[in-house]
Amino acid sequence: MARPLRLTAQVLAVGLVAALLALLIWRVAHNDKGVSQALRDGEQPTAPAFDLNRLDGQGRIDLASIRGKKPIVLDFWASWCVPCIHESKRLEAARKQYGDRIEFIGVDTKDLSSDARTWQRRHGITYPSVHDGSGNELTKWGGLPIPKIFFVNRSGKVVGELLAEEDLPRYLRQISSS
Amino acid sequence: MTRILLVVLAALLVAPVARASEQHPTLAELEGEVMCPVCGTTLDQSNSPAALQIKRAISTGIAAGQTKSEIKQRLVAEYGEAILAAPRRKGFGWLAWALPLVGLSAAAVLVGFGAWRWSSAREPEPVAAPLDPALERRLDDELARFE
Repeated sequence: MARPLRLTAQVLAVGLVAALLALLIWRVAHNDKGVSQALRDGEQPTAPAFDLNRLDGQGRIDLASIRGKKPIVLDFWASWCVPCIHESKRLEAARKQYGDRIEFIGVDTKDLSSDARTWQRRHGITYPSVHDGSGNELTKWGGLPIPKIFFVNRSGKVVGELLAEEDLPRYLRQISSS
Repeated sequence: MTRILLVVLAALLVAPVARASEQHPTLAELEGEVMCPVCGTTLDQSNSPAALQIKRAISTGIAAGQTKSEIKQRLVAEYGEAILAAPRRKGFGWLAWALPLVGLSAAAVLVGFGAWRWSSAREPEPVAAPLDPALERRLDDELARFE
């Protein structure tokens, strides 16, 4: 191979390897660990915003427009998720007590919207839900498994995730007084 | 000529099958083309509640006389493009189909070009210089002694 051609090929190969390396470093540096992991690391991250269609077809819910104005309870659920029934019913009951001070929002994720609407009717869940069929929003909050329930204070910071039964009253009191 | 005829014949045989599959899809074939959103496998390899839910939706679509494209379109509207096991052959999805072919073709061209350059750059075999007549005579004499 002629010398200039070989030199060009070598420069291209080195350039390609450098570009791939840079891409890898960028990916590692920008790897969003999700809200769940941030909470486990002792952080209180700002609630990631979303703007999704409501399940009931009555427009959209833009979390950014609520975040920072009112405390929020965010419930990730799906109609195929059996444990979600119990948790969503608990939130529905809690809403009767805190509904004037706290915004309760459901995020139906990786689910068929028609099945999800039937599920809400069947289990008497009345707080509004948005549809996150692709699960992209769920990924930002930590991914599967569900149910995943988060508590956002009035400043828009996520202060906790429901991991045990007693977390619900504790976090509800905390964010309602924030 | 025979090969071309065979290819045309094969295409004629396959076309009606593909058309039938589009118009009257079966659950079994769609299970292999649709992903389970929570397992990372196709539906035919999963019996998770989420997979069963989609299988039911597909069965309902088939019973309602929907085509394969209509069923897939509904699933994409619900779950996004990632619900399809293979990207669609349109729009951005074409890239996924075309890039491997382009890459393979480019690699073949590069290897061919490199081989051609390498073979044409080789130095020709050196031609042996004629022997000095005196030296040749002496060599013949020396060899004759051994006969």
